[in-house]
Order: sequence, then structure tokens, then C-alpha cells
Amino acid sequence: MSLRTVRWAGVVLGFLGVALTILFHWQVFFWVPTEASMGIVQRIFYIHLPAAWVGFFAFGIVALCSAVYLWLGEEKLDHAARAAAEGGMIFTTIVLTSGPLWARLAWGTWWTWEPRLTLTLLLWFIYLGYFLVRSSTDNLDRGRKFAAVVGVVGALNIPLIHMSVYWFRSLHPQPVVARVDGPQLHPDMATTVFTALGAWTLVFLSLFLFRYAAARLEAYADRVEAARLNPTRSATPEEVMAP
Amino acid sequence: MKLRTSDRSIFLSQRMIMKSLRVLLPIVAVGFLLVLPELLHAQAAGQPGRQMRHFWHVFAAYAVAWALLFGWAVAIARRIARVEDRLKG
Repeated sequence: MSLRTVRWAGVVLGFLGVALTILFHWQVFFWVPTEASMGIVQRIFYIHLPAAWVGFFAFGIVALCSAVYLWLGEEKLDHAARAAAEGGMIFTTIVLTSGPLWARLAWGTWWTWEPRLTLTLLLWFIYLGYFLVRSSTDNLDRGRKFAAVVGVVGALNIPLIHMSVYWFRSLHPQPVVARVDGPQLHPDMATTVFTALGAWTLVFLSLFLFRYAAARLEAYADRVEAARLNPTRSATPEEVMAP
Repeated sequence: MKLRTSDRSIFLSQRMIMKSLRVLLPIVAVGFLLVLPELLHAQAAGQPGRQMRHFWHVFAAYAVAWALLFGWAVAIARRIARVEDRLKG
């Protein structure tokens, strides 16, 4: 995909994401009914759940791109995996901050070491390791390969997080949206959460594409600088190849 | 080594988009944070003590979320501006 296409896709997705974001905020604060038992703090749900989904989606992209990178060795796939990993970290951090703010009032505690919370924190640390491993070696290719392995292995945690509330005794409630028998929510709440999910997926995809474009431009700048620093030999086509 | 015209247009367009994001996002964020207390207070009428505590938690959760997303957008914009300067130099 050319950078021009990436740019236009990023712009279009960004505008759609901002429009849906405005809509979902209107729904959250003006339209959706207040939950009877928890009150307004339940409105954290409309960022908590979509952030978790988008975080998992982002780490899924990391795993897919990393696996294909290990197979084909294409530099672009590593750029895509790194861009998605940044997004995944951002959205998982949102989950790990909004959750305790909700739990303090719903459960009476900021944090408890129950399976779903612990596994989500573990996911965050695994992908922190993804960035640390990448920069832990002077050999750029080796760092990328180590990171790709972490990217693939880390994603194995995602189904565990989803199933943990079924397999273990858990304080975290069971899924109310992603169920075989359909969402167990008031229809207005379901509409709001799906709008929020769409909005943040589009915002993520837009920023992901811009971050990916930036990584490709950086790689291009490195090639151009390498060619400038070596005036004695003529540059190879790969070195001056446009991003 | 010179860049092609199409490459220059890519960098310029991205810089324009990121500049407009830098202006637009703080305005949206500040506006949202300013109206949020009023919105939640209006919805929480009847139980002021308990609901005000709930309000601060909702406020903090949304503020952290938007600060993180805005921070990521700014970091990407700065990265693109840096690489553009490198290519110009």
C-alpha cells in the first residue's frame, strides 16, 4: 500500500472516528438511561469495554504482523506491528485506569488480584516487554525478531482474559455484550456501547495508519542519510526507494 | 538527493492534518471537560453527596482516556515533523 493511500485512509477514518466520538459522548451524557443500582459511575462502562476490545484488536494486529514478519522478513510488517503495539498499550492503559475508578465505587476496592484483572495487567507488561526487547540489542534485525516473538506469544493471553471469568471464580462480571445468546443490556445501552466501540476502532485505525506512515518515512530517511554519508559509492535502488 | 513532488505533498498534507489536530483536539477536550460537570450534575439531581463522588470518578476516567489518546496523536505529529525536517536537511 502506498503512503498516499495510507494517508487518505487515515484522514477518512479519522473524520469518521471524530464524528462517531461526538455522537457517543452525546449518547453517554444526554441520551442513555442511568443504571439503577450503580448510578452515573456505570457510565465508565462506555469507555472501559470499547477500550478493552480495541486493545485486544490492536494486539491481534501485532501478533498477525509479527508472525508474518518472522516468516517473510518484510520490514513494513514490523512497522505495522510496532504501530499497533503502541495503540494497544494506549487502550489497555485506558482499561487499567478506568477499571479501578469504577471498581472503587462498585466493589469498594481499587484493585483485586482476581484472574481477569491480573491477566490484563500481565498483557500490559508483556507488550511493555515487546518495546524493551526491541531496544535491548544493538543488532536491529535481531531486536525486531525478538520483539516479533513476544508479539505473537503475548496475544495468546487474550483468549485467556476473555475466558477467565468462566473458568475461574471471579469478581469481574461475566460478559454482557459478547455472549452467544446476544447482548444482555438495555437496548439504549447496547446502542451506546456499539457506537463507542465503532468510534474508538476508527480513531485507533486512523492513528495507527499515521504512526505506520511515520515509521515508513523514518526508514526512508535512514536510507537517504546512509546514501548521503557514503558519497564514494553510488546508492543502490533500495537505499533511495521512496517510502 | 531530492524528494519527488508527490513525496513532498505527502509530508505537507500530513503536517497540515497534524497541525489542525493540534488545534482542534485541545478545543474539543477543554470544551468537553468544561461541560461535563454540568451534564453529570443535572443527571445526578436528588443524591448530591453520593453522586458527586461518582461524578469525579467518571470525570477522571474520561479525562485520562482522552489525555492518553491526545498524547499519542501529538507524539505521532511530532515524529512526522522530525522526519520531515531530516528529509529536508
